[in-house]
Amino acid sequence: MALRGVWQLQKLIVSYSDWGGSSRGIRAFMELHLPAFKEKNPQLEVVDELIRGQHPHLKGFYRKTPSLCAFTAKCFCKVQGRIYFAECTGNKNQRTICVKNMDPEEILLHATRLRNALGRKVVKLKTRHVTKHPSVQGTWTTDVKF
Amino acid sequence: MANRRCLHTLSRRAWTLFSTNTSIPSLRTLLSLPIQPNKPIASQFGRGVTTRCPHPRYFSSNSESEDVSEDDDDEDYDEEMDDSGEDESVGNSSASGLKREYSPEEREAEAAAIGYKVVGPLERSDRVFKPYEAVFAVVQIGSHQFKVSNGDCIFTERLKFCEVNEKLILNKVLLIGSSTQTIIGRPIVPEAAVHAVVEEHALDAKVIIFKKKRRKNYRRTKGHRQELTKLRITDIQGVEKPEKIVTAKPTKAAEKKPEKVPVTA
Repeated sequence: MALRGVWQLQKLIVSYSDWGGSSRGIRAFMELHLPAFKEKNPQLEVVDELIRGQHPHLKGFYRKTPSLCAFTAKCFCKVQGRIYFAECTGNKNQRTICVKNMDPEEILLHATRLRNALGRKVVKLKTRHVTKHPSVQGTWTTDVKF
Repeated sequence: MANRRCLHTLSRRAWTLFSTNTSIPSLRTLLSLPIQPNKPIASQFGRGVTTRCPHPRYFSSNSESEDVSEDDDDEDYDEEMDDSGEDESVGNSSASGLKREYSPEEREAEAAAIGYKVVGPLERSDRVFKPYEAVFAVVQIGSHQFKVSNGDCIFTERLKFCEVNEKLILNKVLLIGSSTQTIIGRPIVPEAAVHAVVEEHALDAKVIIFKKKRRKNYRRTKGHRQELTKLRITDIQGVEKPEKIVTAKPTKAAEKKPEKVPVTA
């Protein structure tokens, strides 16, 4: 995911066990798909972690510091002189996905989903259109004359 | 049973071919020829001479003994084999996660049908995120329409052919307006373009679909997460944009008149 061009997923921890059968899929994933995934996402820090006696999982860490817009090098929230951090603050979010007994292709799908996501809390959408300026020509009232 | 049907068809058609020279090794070489499972089964059976059974494991060593013809039923068996073959191919595709390989032309055609076009990945050198301009457009993606402006975010159904951090052009624009001009499309405005950037491909919150029929001992619970794409609108082109400097009043009155005419028309 990219908020104004800045990737939000910073770190991905791939935890697996070298003995357990539930880690078979993720071990195959690490051989087959993980190198290509790393190459496609150079901005992402991928770490392998060996945890014995536990089921495997993927952990994603999302951006903590306010993300400056990558394209104007300044935070858009400062445009009107006041500082709105609503959009710029990263959410310091962690997402854990248990991948026990999954196929390597499914694990790749989950890793891609983690990378594509914003990390924000998943709540039901109020509207499908989020805007700060709802009206361009002026909101109509009964007093408006054309 | 299916193996015997397949062999019947094959042996019946091969019988005419090899009627003069039916030796077991040659029949076996015909059966062991390479099979292309991706070709539709119907076309395979449509060819007269070069029919092959799709699954080599159905062959048995007793092919010669089963040549006794049940010719009356073979045509029905052919149709049943076609149906079962197609079902299997469909089943295989669903098992692999419905991953259809789209050619670039197919991708563009399908994307254009929905109403967008992928331009390319976002470069670091692009200055795409501009401050707010007083221009709006009504744009259609798939079956949903949105009134968008610069800097807005839109959640649409998952767009298949674009990745995160890619630029899009939405070409199905139904109406464009600014503070000085309004253009109404019939049904779309041909020269207009709305630029957007893909921000996110994510899943919506889970909705639980609960079905119940009272006093009938029937209760079902199903969870569903819709796949969404978040687009950020960066630019709207195709309409004259207002200048930032405040214009004098007589020019404002003159400009408001052309705005009124298209609306009433």
